[in-house]
Amino acid sequence: MSGELVQILEGNTFVVSDRNGDIDASPVDATGLFSFDTRFLSKWVLTIDGQRLNALSTDDLQYFETRFFLVPGMGTVYIDAKLSVIRQRIVADGFHEDLTILNHDEKPVSLEIRLEAASDFADLFEVKDALQKKGQYHHRIDRGTLVLGYTRESFARETLVSSSEPAKVDAAGLTFKVKVPAHGQWKTALDVKATYAAWGRGPMAAASSARPDMARGLDKWIQRAPHIECDSDSLRHTYHRSLVDLAALRFSTRTMPGRSLPAAGLPWFMTMFGRDSIFTSLQALPFTPELAQTTLLALGERQGSRVDDFRDEDPGRILHEMRYGEMTAFEERPHSPYYGCVDATPLYVVLLDEYERWTGDTKLVRDLEYEARAALNWIDQYADLQGNGYISYRRRNEKTGLENQCWKDSWDSISYRDGTLPGFPRATCELQGYAYDAKTRGARLARLVWKDPAFADRLEQEAADLKRRFNRDFWVEDEGYFAIALDVDGRQVDALASNNGHLLWSGIVDKSKAKSVAGHLLGKRLFSGWGVRTMAEGEGRYNPIGYHVGTVWPYDNSFIAWGLRRYGFKEEAARIAAGILDAAEFFDGRLPEAFGGYPREMTKYPVQYPTACSPQAWSTGAPLLLLRTMLGLEPQGEHLIVDPALARGIGHLELLDIPGRWGRIDAFGRGRIEIPK
Amino acid sequence: MPKATTGDATATFFEKLAKAGHEPILARTSGTLRVELKNGRRTEYWFVTVDKGDVAVSHANDEADAVVRTDKALFDGMATGRVNATTAILRGVLDAEGDLGLVMSFQRLFPAPPKSVYARKIR
Repeated sequence: MSGELVQILEGNTFVVSDRNGDIDASPVDATGLFSFDTRFLSKWVLTIDGQRLNALSTDDLQYFETRFFLVPGMGTVYIDAKLSVIRQRIVADGFHEDLTILNHDEKPVSLEIRLEAASDFADLFEVKDALQKKGQYHHRIDRGTLVLGYTRESFARETLVSSSEPAKVDAAGLTFKVKVPAHGQWKTALDVKATYAAWGRGPMAAASSARPDMARGLDKWIQRAPHIECDSDSLRHTYHRSLVDLAALRFSTRTMPGRSLPAAGLPWFMTMFGRDSIFTSLQALPFTPELAQTTLLALGERQGSRVDDFRDEDPGRILHEMRYGEMTAFEERPHSPYYGCVDATPLYVVLLDEYERWTGDTKLVRDLEYEARAALNWIDQYADLQGNGYISYRRRNEKTGLENQCWKDSWDSISYRDGTLPGFPRATCELQGYAYDAKTRGARLARLVWKDPAFADRLEQEAADLKRRFNRDFWVEDEGYFAIALDVDGRQVDALASNNGHLLWSGIVDKSKAKSVAGHLLGKRLFSGWGVRTMAEGEGRYNPIGYHVGTVWPYDNSFIAWGLRRYGFKEEAARIAAGILDAAEFFDGRLPEAFGGYPREMTKYPVQYPTACSPQAWSTGAPLLLLRTMLGLEPQGEHLIVDPALARGIGHLELLDIPGRWGRIDAFGRGRIEIPK
Repeated sequence: MPKATTGDATATFFEKLAKAGHEPILARTSGTLRVELKNGRRTEYWFVTVDKGDVAVSHANDEADAVVRTDKALFDGMATGRVNATTAILRGVLDAEGDLGLVMSFQRLFPAPPKSVYARKIR
């Protein structure tokens, strides 16, 4: 794969090309036109008189549109071209490309313009794992349109390539023999459409159809969000970038056209993820509450309804991930959808309650009563694998299911201090916090909206009981923090990890223990100066560039800051917010999924952890949640409480027109907190 | 509710649905669904009316908010939990048109795969 790639997308249709706009993928190479988890084009190469082109500039006009400015030849010293070429590409229903050739010469010129096209119809999973195809390829030429196809039994996908100007079409592409007048130009439009065959019907457009108002839609999206005024240019830039990236990450499902929820990451994770969609919706609630609404509806619509071992599905369980490709279709992968995730279900109830607290939309809470009750029921009926009153996880699909079903889903993320790994089932601590919060918030909804005080009482009793047991069983007495998990024998998996911050956020921590927990979070072992590490320095598995064992995750930190505020640790929350927002400046306002856990004073800049996806939804949401925690925004009844606590360096901060049950409200804050160097 | 002509899996599924009269999973769903099943040379119709979870079933071939078309044998598979509706759509052996939200909710009524066993107590 070449170093610099250009990606544009709309929904789950996206194009990844090189800087010339060309696609020339190998089976494991991740360039191409993708839609619904299938690669519809693996080759798309433009030549003029047999020559490849050279990019002078590439402009990402919007997240769905790019312009490539090219000249013939691959010269490296200087270019004295009599021709220039503009490719302007927009993702919509596959993609549309306007190709313009400009002749700068005094004489007319005859050219042979060629577009090579091919498709391997790889499933995204195949691109990742380099697997062999099991079906057959075909092609045909249909009234000037090149049709590339793939079938396996009744599974059929086709790519349609056509042009506005007449072309000589063959099995491998389109050729144009053209004469461009002196100082003149020649133009053609090229359309690449992704289609699938539906049972008993002809080919259907796989991608959503063209949306001519995409640019206007983006402007409206930005205008509708709260407006920021502040002394810090960097913060303003980060905020704006977060909003634009969040717009790009919006994803619509076929069951709810016209509404969108946040997908997990661009481009490989442009699909519904229970956990990521919920966390991002929580982060974005004060800014774009409609994301939460769609997330709740879309996940509710697909809530588990039966016991299915292959999909790790149970009644009431919220899905982990949905995919649409060939391997999912033939059940070689369980993503139809796959339910192997244990936090999304309690978090579903948390989001529903938080959404109501901000918006006052009790109708949605009424509409989703069945789903919320089923989720609450799942916690006790299906997630308590060991019958000990704690949520734990162990996959039932041992072949293609996920081993680790909490957010730290890598193989070595959950360990004892000495680095050994516990067996399964694993009861990680934050899951118990989420369960506690879900029960507490569920009780509020039961009383307020469902008018079921007996259910509310029961939930509150269960929550209180869970809290009491948790503070006894997970508390690592000699160190003063909560163990990352309990193992199968009920023994503490005692490494110190950032999960403690999520516990504060959930409210499960006894008040008497909170100070010690906060001390650890901001202590030298966990706090790097930029943020809280996923695992503390000094633990057996600590590694500053280990995925979940030492890196700093902006998303994680945004919830830790929220947790600190929940327990009144304003200054500590402000320190975390300041550190993460400082880091954002180094990433031009776009926080990565994770960065290195090296001490800040050692590297001076945050060291990026290599990941395939950028932007990542919950990293994009992190600055939004940090704005909330810095301003101390908290809905209370019909009002919004504003209780700012921010670092001196941030200066003056205003967030204007915050939407909610109060209509629109402004919040102001001034940085007064000294951050120790 | 018209009597099914045979005691097949599809008929049993719809009879059970009609008899229950209410499905909590469909509590926030209202609309009509027509199921067209190809069985050799003839087509079998099932018409489901959902009104906030209240369910009525007939054999009407009427206009509906959503239409599902497939082979009778495949639907028998879904009605017994052996075939998954979502992957059937992706494989192109089942077509759904119209209000896909209604179809999505409806497919949740199909039973669990016969082989899935839930071991509640792992130890």
